[in-house]
Amino acid sequence: MSTFQLPTRFGRFGGCYAPETLMANLVELEAAFVHAGQDESYAAEFARLLGEFAGRPTPLFEARRLSEHLGVEVWLKREDLLHTGAHKLNNAIGQALLARRMGKTRILAETGAGQHGVATATVCALLGLECVVYMGALDVERQRPNVERMRLLGARVVAVQSGQRTLKDAVNEAMRAWVGDPEAHYLLGSALGPHPFPTVVGSCHEVIGAEARAQWRARVGGSPDAVVACVGGGSNAIGLFRKFIPDAEVELVGVEAGGLGDGPGQHAARWVGGREGILHGCRTLVLADSDGQVEGTHSISAGLDYPAVGPEHAHLADTGRARYERASDDEALEGFRLLARLEGILPALESSHALGWVVRERECLAGQRVLIGLSGRGDKDLASVLPRLAAEEESA
Amino acid sequence: MSQRLQASIRAGQRHAPSGQLLPALAPYVTAGDGGLDRTLAVLHALESAGAACVELGLPFSDPIADGPHLQAAAERALEAGTTPAGVLELVRRFRSAGGALPILLFSYTNPLFVGLGGFSAAAAALAAAGGDGFIVPDLPPEEAGELRDACAEHGLGTVFFATPTSSDARIRAAAEASTGFLYAIGRVGITGARTTFDPEVLTWLDRVRDLAGETPLAVGFGVADGAAVAALGGHCDLAISGTALVRALHDAGGTPEDAARVATAFTTALGAGAP
Repeated sequence: MSTFQLPTRFGRFGGCYAPETLMANLVELEAAFVHAGQDESYAAEFARLLGEFAGRPTPLFEARRLSEHLGVEVWLKREDLLHTGAHKLNNAIGQALLARRMGKTRILAETGAGQHGVATATVCALLGLECVVYMGALDVERQRPNVERMRLLGARVVAVQSGQRTLKDAVNEAMRAWVGDPEAHYLLGSALGPHPFPTVVGSCHEVIGAEARAQWRARVGGSPDAVVACVGGGSNAIGLFRKFIPDAEVELVGVEAGGLGDGPGQHAARWVGGREGILHGCRTLVLADSDGQVEGTHSISAGLDYPAVGPEHAHLADTGRARYERASDDEALEGFRLLARLEGILPALESSHALGWVVRERECLAGQRVLIGLSGRGDKDLASVLPRLAAEEESA
Repeated sequence: MSQRLQASIRAGQRHAPSGQLLPALAPYVTAGDGGLDRTLAVLHALESAGAACVELGLPFSDPIADGPHLQAAAERALEAGTTPAGVLELVRRFRSAGGALPILLFSYTNPLFVGLGGFSAAAAALAAAGGDGFIVPDLPPEEAGELRDACAEHGLGTVFFATPTSSDARIRAAAEASTGFLYAIGRVGITGARTTFDPEVLTWLDRVRDLAGETPLAVGFGVADGAAVAALGGHCDLAISGTALVRALHDAGGTPEDAARVATAFTTALGAGAP
């Protein structure tokens, strides 16, 4: 049955494990995406909004004091400077324009840390679309400023009370809502879910790596030795990685949430405790028990607190093109603290995992030129960070 | 075995006093909600009360196509320690106690893919336990090649879905891929959302039935009582009732015998064509 026009898999990962109720929408979305790709007016409007509205291109910044401190030459791709404070806006704009092409007037979205929810609410305000955001009740508590932001932008925020009350449950509820409301567009926020979402979302974020690669050539010369990005679902990482994949000399490193330790439920590190499975529409690595029941996760960062990973990352790991490491809650906090003190930048706790890994591995990386994806800003995380850092200072 | 299933669906259709052919009955139960002993008693009761088959739900942590009541039932069953292997053992116990009711295992993909070792292994295991087929709500025909082959090999029935958003071509293909029955979702939505049938829904069902050809047509979603079954008379071959029975069983609580009484009363009322 040739339902789709594009490949639905990355190697053996991905696919379209979706309820029949959603199949027509997924086919429609793919068709809109393919058609938009051949339409210069879509590309022009996407580029206009990424520039005038979102503030692209984002800078490539040489973190000189951090580099001196670590003995590693660190450059940051500053997605934290994008409007709304994270890379998520690239995808929200791209998909909202597709939704408009499809004649949709209502947008559903899930959010973990709230960044995707804020980005979606923002674009919906810009384009005059109705917006409903599903957010785990626990995340509503720990990301309060972003909840208020979404409401100010006119979105309705639904606190999801089922399961662990975090990102996974928000995705469940958003998918359920879409099953019951196929007239809406589900603006999925990471490079996961059933085909064509991993392809569409990755494509919307490719601009990150395209800019970074050109900026690096112009500003630094040659290629970085390593490109490092945090990986929850993996949208910022795939956006940064894709254009570097053909550059064989560049090592690609994804950093996932090591949380409190390696025990079940203590982390969100799919390459530590995960297995091949099927969750939220795609075959990928999933933190699940031997019965296939999805396990709880923990991360200090709500945006990485998710039990599966985008299928393209599973494939990049499988083929050896990228490797996936983890940083613990404490290491992420150390990355946060160092960037604040040495460079005057408060990074998102998600991005702090990439920083924290580089800090930990500084001896192995000594003398190398490393590009880190700074996927978002950390203002939203102060409520999580301040008590932890205060406790550390007290005990020190 | 899918032949036993289709024979049971045919035998289960009865004429109403009006002469209309009423659909056979397929209650849904969540395996392990209240414990597997309770589910076993319910299976026997459903058979005695005249159900044509049962949709046995294998509980999953992330049931994206289910409404809040079936989600809650799955959570309770998982908390009670229900596993995929335990559910197959339940099927085996039912068969060894003489149960002949055809059993369709309703499962999301991951408990089959991970929990039972993949689609082929899951089909072999279900056939060995005495099951009759699979209903997998997140496995569209595009991804179902391996499961279909394994079901054909083991004589198990497959079930695919038709929804109001499915094209005619998709509905035809889904019917061809279904060796058990075609599962029509009477209206767009998650389970347990509404309980009446609009005339447009019945018109749509008639179109689906034409497209389905020889494949029996089942209607799920929205069958809560005998009145709904009566309203479906002449429009489908099988009426699936999920949420209402699961709620009734949970609300009643009590022993396996109590659960059996609830299941019997529920199925009898469904078949009586009145609320």
